Amino acid sequence: MTKKRRRLPALIKDMGMCLLKKPFTQEYPFVKVQAPEGYRGRQVFHPDKCISCGLCERDCPAKAIELIEVSGRRLPHFYLDRCIFCYQCSEGCPREAIEFSTNFEMATTERAEMVVTPEEFMSNQQVTSDEGEQSVD
Amino acid sequence: MEKFEKAVEILKNNLADAIVECKVPRPRKAYILLKPERHRDAVSLLLENVENTALSTITGTDLGNEIELNYHMACSGTVTLKNRVSREKPIIRTITDILPGANLYEREIFDLLGVTFEGHPNLERLMLPEKWPKGDYPLRRDWKLPEKTEFESSPEETSQTESTTEPGDGESIVNVVIGPQHPALHEPERFSFKVDGETVVDVDMRLGYVHRGIEKAAERMMFFQDVFLVERICGICNAAHTTVFCQAVEDIGNVETPPRALYLRTIIHELNRVHSHLLLLGVAGHLVGFEALFQHVWRDREPIMDIMERITGNRLLSGFNAIGGVRRDIDPSTVEMALKNVKAVRKRSKFYKTVFEEDATLRLRTEGVGVLNKADALKLCVTGPVARASGIDVDVRRDDPYAAYGEIPFNVICYNDCDTWARLMVRVEEVLESLDIIEYALSNLPSGRLRVRVQRKQPEGEAVSRVEAPRGELIHYVKSDGTAYPYRVKVRSPTMANLIAFPEIIRGEYIADIPAVLGSFDPCFSCTDRMVFLDAQNGRKWHWSLDDVNNSKNGNGMI
Amino acid sequence: MALDLIFFARVLIFPGFLFLLVLVLFFDWLERKIAARFQNRMGPSYAGPFGILQPIADYIKLFSKEDITPKQTNKLLFVAAPIFAFALFVFALFFIPIDGANVILGSSFEGDLILVLLLMTLANFGIFLSGWASLNPYSGIGATRVLTQFLGYDIPLIILALGPAFLARSLSIVNITASQTLPFALLTPWCCALFFLVLQAELEKTPFDIPHAETEIVGGYETEYSGRKLAFIKLSEDFQFLIGASLVTVLFLGGAHGPVFFGMPELWHVFWFIIKTIGVVFFLEYIGNVAARLRIDQVVHGNWELLIPLSLVSLALTVVIEPLLRSVIV
Repeated sequence: MTKKRRRLPALIKDMGMCLLKKPFTQEYPFVKVQAPEGYRGRQVFHPDKCISCGLCERDCPAKAIELIEVSGRRLPHFYLDRCIFCYQCSEGCPREAIEFSTNFEMATTERAEMVVTPEEFMSNQQVTSDEGEQSVD
Repeated sequence: MEKFEKAVEILKNNLADAIVECKVPRPRKAYILLKPERHRDAVSLLLENVENTALSTITGTDLGNEIELNYHMACSGTVTLKNRVSREKPIIRTITDILPGANLYEREIFDLLGVTFEGHPNLERLMLPEKWPKGDYPLRRDWKLPEKTEFESSPEETSQTESTTEPGDGESIVNVVIGPQHPALHEPERFSFKVDGETVVDVDMRLGYVHRGIEKAAERMMFFQDVFLVERICGICNAAHTTVFCQAVEDIGNVETPPRALYLRTIIHELNRVHSHLLLLGVAGHLVGFEALFQHVWRDREPIMDIMERITGNRLLSGFNAIGGVRRDIDPSTVEMALKNVKAVRKRSKFYKTVFEEDATLRLRTEGVGVLNKADALKLCVTGPVARASGIDVDVRRDDPYAAYGEIPFNVICYNDCDTWARLMVRVEEVLESLDIIEYALSNLPSGRLRVRVQRKQPEGEAVSRVEAPRGELIHYVKSDGTAYPYRVKVRSPTMANLIAFPEIIRGEYIADIPAVLGSFDPCFSCTDRMVFLDAQNGRKWHWSLDDVNNSKNGNGMI
Repeated sequence: MALDLIFFARVLIFPGFLFLLVLVLFFDWLERKIAARFQNRMGPSYAGPFGILQPIADYIKLFSKEDITPKQTNKLLFVAAPIFAFALFVFALFFIPIDGANVILGSSFEGDLILVLLLMTLANFGIFLSGWASLNPYSGIGATRVLTQFLGYDIPLIILALGPAFLARSLSIVNITASQTLPFALLTPWCCALFFLVLQAELEKTPFDIPHAETEIVGGYETEYSGRKLAFIKLSEDFQFLIGASLVTVLFLGGAHGPVFFGMPELWHVFWFIIKTIGVVFFLEYIGNVAARLRIDQVVHGNWELLIPLSLVSLALTVVIEPLLRSVIV
C-alpha cells in the first residue's frame, strides 16, 4: 500500500497559509471566555427548597458534601476540593435545590474558600450568576 | 455470530467430561465452569479451531473458600472459562506456553491475589512495589489496610543507570534505565534497556507506578457511584469505560436500555475515539521531532472538544453514561453545531491523511520500524489498532456489536504493513470512519426515553462486557452478590494487552526508534496501572521516549 | 590615540559585542515568533511590545538560577568548554562584515572565509566537550551525536562555500560581498539551495536536530548545565545561528551592500544586512517546520551518500559556469 514519496508539497503550502491566519490561541485571561450552557461548573444552591433529606450527601461519589447545621436547619456544604462535578447531587435531589452554573473560575489560594456554603445563597437575592462573579453579602 | 457458536459447540463436544456447567445467558456471552486444571485443554482447543481467538484477560475473584480464575477468551463474543483453586493451596498451571500473551495477566493475579502459576517464565510482582510484605494480598476479601504504609524505595529503583561492564571492556552491553522520573516521560514507568551501541538488545518494563487501587475502591462504592470512579480510570477513553461498565451492570440487572440512549452513547464513544486518535497523531509527530504537525493536529481537535463540551458539559470527563441510559439529552441546535464541527474536522483529517501518507521525513522515521508480524501479534493477544495494523481483522464494534453499532454501517480499517507507519495510518483512517459514524448517528437519532430507572441493588450474577476503546479492546467483568455494592470489578485496559508486545518489537531497533514505536502503541499508563489495590497515590500520565545511555564512571560515551 | 578609540568603539559597542548581543537577542525573538506563526500560535507576546524583551527575560531568569556542578566532573573542562565555544563563535562573527568592513578594521585577509569555517568547527568541538565533561549518559549521547553530525556536514559546507569564492576569485569575505553586483543566489541557485540544507545540519535544526532530541535524550549536551553556564550555552547556540545566517547573507546575498538612499552609508549597510539575514532566518525556519527529525543513521547516510556528491557536483558546475558569468560579476 505504499504511495509514492513526495517532497512535502502539502504541508509546505499549509504552513505558508498559517502565516496569514490569526493565531488560534485564545488570550485568556486577557480575553474572557464564556463556557457554553450546560457546562458543569460551580454549584448553585437554593436553601429555601432544601428539605435536608441527605440524599446528596449519601450519593456523592467523592464524599464532597456534608450536611452541617446552619441557623437551625441541616444544609449541605459542598467541598470543592473533593468535588468531581458529576451532577449526581443535582440529579438525585428530590426538590431541585441544587443547580449548576457555568462558573468555572474557582481557583483560589485559600483552602477555606473552596467550600460552597448555604450562607452565600441565603441572605441575598442574587445567586451566582453565569458571568462567574459572586456577590456575597 | 458464527464464530462464537462454533466455539461453544467445540467446547461442548470435545470437552464434555471437563465441563461442570455451561451458561449462555445472553447472545455472545458464555460462562463455562471447568473441572480443575482443565483450562489448558479448553484454551488450546479454542486457539486451534477458532480463527483470531485471543485471550482478553484473566480475572481472579476471591470467593471465600476458593479463588476463581476466569479466562476470558475473545472469539467474536466472550467465552469465559472458569476454574477454581482452593484458597489454602492456590496453585494452577500456566498457559503462557500455549499463549504468551497471558504473561502479564498471570503476574498480576500472582501479585494481588497470591495464586501461583506453575511454569510461568518470570513470576514476579507486577503492580505492587518489591518491598510489599509477602503474604499480603490486597485483592482478597479479608484484606485490611496495613498500619505502616510507607515503603522505602529499593536501591535498584532509584538508580538511573547501571553499567554491567568493566571500564575498558571492548564489548559492552550497557544497561540503561529510563524512568520512573524522566523529563521526556509523560507518565512514569521504568524501562530498563540493554543497549549495544545504538541497538537495543533487550528491555525490561516495570509497571505499576500510577497504580491507584480502583478495583478495590470499586467494591466499596455503590454501582451508580462506580460509574464515576470507572470514568476516571482514563481521561481520554472515559466514555469507553463508562459504557462498558454500564453495559456489564445492565446485563446483570436485565435492564433494557432505550434506543435513543444507545445512539447517544455511541456518539460520545466515537467522539472520544476521534479525540484520542487525533491526540495521538499529534503526539506521534512530536515524538519524531515534528513540532509543527503536533501543534496543527492539536489545534484541529479543538472542534471535537467543543462538541463534547456542548453535549456533556465538560471537555474531557463526560459524566454522560449512567446505568440504564444516559443522563443528558441533546437538543437540535447542538446537533447542528456538532454536524458543522464534524465537517470541519473531516476536512482537516483528510489533509492529515495525505500528510501521513506522503510526507517523506515522517515515513523515513516510521516505515519498517517496529515490525510486529501477524503470527506474533496473535500469540501475544494484542488488540485494537496495533492488531489491525498487523493484519488481524478484529473489531469489537463489528464482531460483538454493542450500543448502536449493530445498526450503523461502518468499515473496519486493516493494514498489512505491520510497522509503525501502519499503526499510525490505521488511526488516521479510523478518525474518518468515526466522523462518518457520528454524522450518521446524529442524523438518525431515534426519539424516546433517555433513561430507565434502575434500583440501587442489583441481583446476584456476573457479566462480562467488551467495547472497542480508542486503544483497543477494553473489557470489564462485574460480579454482584445481591447488594448495592459490587462484589468484584475487574478492568483490563487495552494498553496492558499491547504492552507485552513492546519488548518483542523493540529488540534490534535503534534507540531513536523507541519513541516512534512507543508512540504508535499509544500507551496510556493511567489505564494500565489502575488495577487493584494500593492506597498510595502517585500520579502521572503518558510516557514514551526512552533512550539508552551509556554510562560508566569515567564518563565514556558511546563506543 | 584616535585609532585606539575607534578600535575600542568598534569592538565593544558597534558593530562589536554590544551590537552583536542585541542582534542575537533580536534574532532569537524573531526565530521564536516565526516558528510560532508557522504553528498557528502566538509566540512571545507579553514581555515588552510584541514580546521582544522575551529573550532578555529568559537570560535574566537563567542568570538568577542555581548553578550546579556535578561532583565527579572535571571542573575545569565543565566550566571552560561552554565559554570556549562561546568565545570562538563571537570571534568568528568578528570576521563577518556587518557594515561593509570587519569589526576590527583592516583585519580581513585572503582566507578569512576558511578561518570563519574553522572557528565554527572548533567551537562545535567545544560544545562536544561540554557534553562529554558532564558525565551524564544523556549528555554523552548528545555530545556524540553533535560530533557525528557536524564532522560529517562540515565537508559539504566547505565545498559549497567555495562556490562563491570561485565566482569572486577571492577567499576573503569582504571581497566576496563586494563583488556581488548580482547576488550569487541568483547566479548559482543550486549552490544556495544546497547550502541552506547543509546549514540546517550545521545549526542542528530540524530535520537534523538529533543532538537536541528532547523526547529522546532529554537535553542532550546541555542536560547537566544550569544557571549561568546554561545561559552561556544558549547564548552560544544563538550566536551560532547568527553566524550561519550571516554566512548565507555574505556568500550568496551580497552581504551588506545595497542601495544607499540618504545619509550615512554605514547605517544603510547594516540595515540591508539585517533585512537579508531576516529573510534567511525565515527560510531556515520554514525548512525546520515542515520536516520531522531524522534518525542518526539516516542523517549520516544522507550526508555521505547524498549531500557530499551533490555538493561536489554543484561546485563543479559552478566552476564550469564561471567564465560565462564573468561579465556580470565585477
